[in-house]
Amino acid sequence: MYRYDAIDKEFLTDRSNEFRHQVGRRLAGELSEDQFKPLRLMNGLYLQLHAYMLRVCIPYGTLNVAQVRRLAWIARTYDKGYGHFTTRQNIQFHWIKLRDAPDILDALAEVNLHAIQTSGNCIRNTTSDPRAGATAEEIDDPRVWSEAIRQWSTLHPEFSYLPRKFKIAVTASAKDRTAARVHDIGLALRRGRDGTLGFEVMVGGGMGRTPFIGQTIKEFLPATRLLSYLEAVLRVYNRAGRRDNIYKARIKILVSSLGAEEFGRQVEEEWAQIDAARADLPDTELARIRAAFIQPGLEVLPPVSDSYEAARAANPALARFARNNVSAHKAPGYAIVDVSLKAHDATPGDANSDQLEAIADLAERFSLGDIRVTHEQNLVLPHVKQSDLPALFEGLVAVGLATPNINLVSDIIACPGLDYCALANARAIPVAQSIAQRFLDADRAELVGELKIKISGCINACGHHHVGHIGILGVDKKGEEYYQLTLGGSGAEDASIGKILGPGLNADQVAPAVDRLVEVYLAERQGEERFLDTYRRIGMTPFKEAVYVDAH
Amino acid sequence: MSAEFLKALTANRLGEGDVVFWSSGQWVEQFADAELFTEEAPAEAAVALAKAQNRTVVDAYLIDVTRSEQGVAPVSYRERLRALGPTNELGHGKQALGGAAIAALQAASGAARSTGRLDLIRRK
Ligand code: HEM
Ligand code: SF4
Repeated sequence: MYRYDAIDKEFLTDRSNEFRHQVGRRLAGELSEDQFKPLRLMNGLYLQLHAYMLRVCIPYGTLNVAQVRRLAWIARTYDKGYGHFTTRQNIQFHWIKLRDAPDILDALAEVNLHAIQTSGNCIRNTTSDPRAGATAEEIDDPRVWSEAIRQWSTLHPEFSYLPRKFKIAVTASAKDRTAARVHDIGLALRRGRDGTLGFEVMVGGGMGRTPFIGQTIKEFLPATRLLSYLEAVLRVYNRAGRRDNIYKARIKILVSSLGAEEFGRQVEEEWAQIDAARADLPDTELARIRAAFIQPGLEVLPPVSDSYEAARAANPALARFARNNVSAHKAPGYAIVDVSLKAHDATPGDANSDQLEAIADLAERFSLGDIRVTHEQNLVLPHVKQSDLPALFEGLVAVGLATPNINLVSDIIACPGLDYCALANARAIPVAQSIAQRFLDADRAELVGELKIKISGCINACGHHHVGHIGILGVDKKGEEYYQLTLGGSGAEDASIGKILGPGLNADQVAPAVDRLVEVYLAERQGEERFLDTYRRIGMTPFKEAVYVDAH
Repeated sequence: MSAEFLKALTANRLGEGDVVFWSSGQWVEQFADAELFTEEAPAEAAVALAKAQNRTVVDAYLIDVTRSEQGVAPVSYRERLRALGPTNELGHGKQALGGAAIAALQAASGAARSTGRLDLIRRK
């Protein structure tokens, strides 16, 4: 795992001291709210419905044991004992006091965490694959490149006041676990025919009120030229992106109005002007970053653990967990474990302090101290010996974190919605819970298989509803909460934007409607088809008829 | 549309972020203790006073309030949630206090959800 050096540490301490001073001046009345608000937002502090909310950056979703313990401590000391993991692999605390914020930033800085660039019109945290460094599927370790982007984009003077926020994803496997095609820039690692490393560069993806799938503007960018090329993309956007209308300011609007080809041409033109020697990462620096991600401690093990096989055969609960939450590791005898934060009565993405501490302990014992956050609001323990899986499973069961539902119908993404968010139209959390409750039967959920339900409380789409196999958007219909369903979205390598099913439903109708959609799928599916595949084959009509049957 | 002018003044405390309501020059924690304005002039005067309290509160604004058999409640769902707390954690926020006034607000929220009254106004 990457270790911050003395310069990084000093920078974080300085930043937190600066914010302490700013908060002091605000509380003393020396700064007005209008003057102070941009300063607090630069430190990830929003005012929500019930309190301030602090968004803490988790670089490309990677945490160590000390950091998770510190997050647990912050949740217990300054919040109501829990935190909320987001679709951007970050964590939010929902009950923060402004007075406490400087102390919290200090506590974060001690473990190399911060809230910088978690808000505002700058380059945000880079999304990456939570299985980085553990999966055999990857072409290269995407953390290396994500870390390079982190260093390059942190406090980048030219790109601190962009027309709008900017989000980059780096994926390295054929299976995209980063939603790269709905990011402002999606980078997919590729090997060229000559074996060299490069990126497919996709731009202009995004969600919000005008969703777009990113378009490829460069099939193969030599990896060593990454930073200069990003600089060129950002520079074209910074110059030509609209600043007159907040709804048209994202790069996706620029790319769609120019056309991807013309946008790509302008980037090439800009790129040709940039001095590569200045802009690109020196090989020595790249080598230094790469060395930091070489995983120490992996043992040479037989590919199959007999004790694990025996335990799985003897314990049906472990077997179910293994089917849904355990996947292959690149090293023989190891496994990658997904930890679901989607128990049926839980708030999607929430973890309480006891659970966070348990995860830290379990990661220390069983996962080489490495913890990842997924954009689907779950956690991953990436390096677990198969022979440790039974003990890990028991440890997870003890704190309610062994829900065997990864990628299943109850593994739902939900934004905080109207229960917390000042921008919301409707609640998202109770809708997710009502669906999870309806699909409590684990055998049926496994029979249904992969089904990605994603819920946002408003059109900003923080809950990724546009790319849900079933998307659910909360709307306000004359003061009442209503929900608009979409079908056929995907945030993965087969990305697409969902299409509206029909008229909005009230909160009580959503879970029954999902049930009917699932019944149509089960009746119609062929072979190994997922819900999404069946929808793509048979189209909207059968689903629509099933949900609106009463309306005839 | 109800013709009655009925409003309360709300804000968040600067240092804590807590939701508060105006009551005769003081900020109180519970909606049940909020002053209800039945005329525009005193309501606007209170807003002006609140906005001058730069060191105490942020984001002061008037909300619409309605009277029903259950009592008075903010008209919009959003404002009822601010007056209560999140519905996924019933022990968090103002609703933790319990009692008749909280129960009445919760009942008003429930009513809005299931009856689909169409004359609710949203403040955002
Ligand atoms: C303080 C609470 C939040 C506020 C004020 C907020 C605000 C917004 C806004 C205004 C947008 C639309 C941006 C645009 O299209 O230009 C947006 C998009 C987004 N937010 Fe949030 N959000 C909040 C919480 C969250 C949470 C909890 C998550 C994760 C669960 C999240 C993740 C995202 C994502 C993934 C997008 C869409 C992707 C994109 O188009 O950039 N946000 N948010
Ligand atoms: S989608 Fe809307 S309601 Fe949900 S967190 Fe984002 S801004 Fe808030």
